[in-house]
Amino acid sequence: MGNPQLWVSVFVDGAFYGLIALAYYVTLIGSQFFNFAIGPYAMVTGLGASWLVVDEGWSLWSAVVVMLAAIAVLGAVTELAVVRPVQRRATGGELPALVAVAALLFAIQQLAGEIFGFTPLPGQPILPTSTFTLGSATIQASVVPLLAVAAAVFLLVGLWVRLTPTGRMLRAVGDSNHAARLLGFPVNRIRLIAFILGALIAGLAGLFFAPSSGNGVNFMSGLNWALTGFLALVIGGTGTVWAPLLGGFVLALVNIFVPYYFGGSSVSYVLLGLAVVFFAFRPEGVFARRVRT
Amino acid sequence: MSISAEQQAGGPQDAGGPAVAERGPATGAEPSRPRWSRHLPTQANASAIVGLVGGAAALLWTGSNGYRESLLILGCMYSLVAVGMYVPFVLTGTLSMAYSAYAAIGGYTVAILFAKAGLPLWVGWFVAPVISAAVAVILGVVTRRVSGFYLVAVTLLFAEAFSTFVQSNTTLAGGSHGFPGLPTISLFGWTPTVVQFGIAAVALVWVVTYLVDRLRQSPWGILVRTMREVPVAVEASGVRVSWMRVVALGIGAMIGSLAGSLFVTSVHAVNPLTFTLTLVFIAVFMPVVGGVGTAWGAVVGAAVVTELTLNFSAVGSGGLLIVSIGVLVILLVAPRGIVGYIDVARKWVVATGMKLLSKKSTPHD
Repeated sequence: MGNPQLWVSVFVDGAFYGLIALAYYVTLIGSQFFNFAIGPYAMVTGLGASWLVVDEGWSLWSAVVVMLAAIAVLGAVTELAVVRPVQRRATGGELPALVAVAALLFAIQQLAGEIFGFTPLPGQPILPTSTFTLGSATIQASVVPLLAVAAAVFLLVGLWVRLTPTGRMLRAVGDSNHAARLLGFPVNRIRLIAFILGALIAGLAGLFFAPSSGNGVNFMSGLNWALTGFLALVIGGTGTVWAPLLGGFVLALVNIFVPYYFGGSSVSYVLLGLAVVFFAFRPEGVFARRVRT
Repeated sequence: MSISAEQQAGGPQDAGGPAVAERGPATGAEPSRPRWSRHLPTQANASAIVGLVGGAAALLWTGSNGYRESLLILGCMYSLVAVGMYVPFVLTGTLSMAYSAYAAIGGYTVAILFAKAGLPLWVGWFVAPVISAAVAVILGVVTRRVSGFYLVAVTLLFAEAFSTFVQSNTTLAGGSHGFPGLPTISLFGWTPTVVQFGIAAVALVWVVTYLVDRLRQSPWGILVRTMREVPVAVEASGVRVSWMRVVALGIGAMIGSLAGSLFVTSVHAVNPLTFTLTLVFIAVFMPVVGGVGTAWGAVVGAAVVTELTLNFSAVGSGGLLIVSIGVLVILLVAPRGIVGYIDVARKWVVATGMKLLSKKSTPHD
């Protein structure tokens, strides 16, 4: 564990997984729904911005703004046109909406392939620093922006959930839809905000992680990211806003160091083992909310 | 979707067939139904007969065309995976995504028992379901206390881990080459031709689907479907809901591994790329496309999806896009699926026919 270069990778992956998990978290506390389309959101934003810049010759900033706006719209469409109608029709259980989101996940991936091309594109560095060395580790140009964005997003979301009326209503709606409705909260609007905010966080994660991703971004990345982020959230728990970040770092540690010491194939066994242990013995994650009674 | 759609398209109350008769003569058990209507097939038997006709049509279409033969086997494989997923997914409302691994277990068991132990191919067909069911039960038990999302995650991770295992393990699973060049299956000296194998595959799909549809209407099937709607009530009656879910997961996994055995026996080879996760994501949509009211919907969905993703050259790589958008549309505007709407049409025809006939026959009674 003494190789500093590996630790840089842990921080990069950890920040990315943490952001994806935070996107799940925000959607989850507002709507009690695991929105698996979050992985494809991140992919679409990263791949779309690269496509606009590389193939269409847009300037980087207009591409970033357009893609973030597009992903916010996609998040709103997910809630308004897919999850809400399907959940309203089904009387109980989360499966119908889950299948709908799986279908949406595939539709987004295939559409992204059709529009942006089926070949991977290199991520575009946003606000790059110059490459520098820290001790014996080389810090690539896109590392600092990713870490800064992750820190800023976590801080802002933490403050927002704690301090603003909308953030507090988000938790109330997530705790009990029914009670929140009785209290006169705008439940539908809060849920919509949760989906849009989740999509924006995923979009930022995809944008800033894309240049650090070894093989660039391709249209298939979404599914993988959706699963990794979900696992990070499960490990971290949903007790505090910081739990997804912890889960992301634990997952990044496993993803980086296990292949380094035990060979490449062992990582999927360790992930399965980790999931089994957590699901069986601590499904609420490391941080669980304690309710005073 | 699965809930409301099944209630509309043949829930528990529908098992006895059309209950739409007008003023018919009293016939003991079912007083309000004309005597002749007892000779009409029930919904389950009608589906089975239609399934038989459909299978025969598929075989006629295939003929001895080699390309169509491989499509037929692929369709049968998808059908079995879809019917396997139907058991936990539609009946109990539990989604397992490890079916690529269960199919791979089916295929690899056949191959490994042949290549490493010299056993005939059919032995693997019987060993694999046991292994798959054991895996499914373990994964189900681990996640029995948490919501369905966790089962989805842990089964996906198992599928990934199993695919890594067969890719990296060269001593047992043959590494990235897998097992090429398996012989043709032979049962007690009888070696089926390609056409005969196709017939056997269709027959297998028919039997399994028929059994699963019977299971849906059995007391156990009604129990688990009730459990899906109101778990608290079933739990209160002394049934362990979580264990019933685990049983359903095991049954589904057994059928899933049959799919793998069938495919590998047919193509005489298996390698890590034979069964990928894409299979699961395509198969999970099949019961939805076909209609969740009956297990035959999964088979219809498998046929439609196989045609769209593999044989429909006009859309090229866009087949999966059409399927996923189609699933969204079905979930949003047409939750009964193909078979569900056929059933609506059938009920309408039967009801109208009965109305007309009972009007004519009443004066003679």
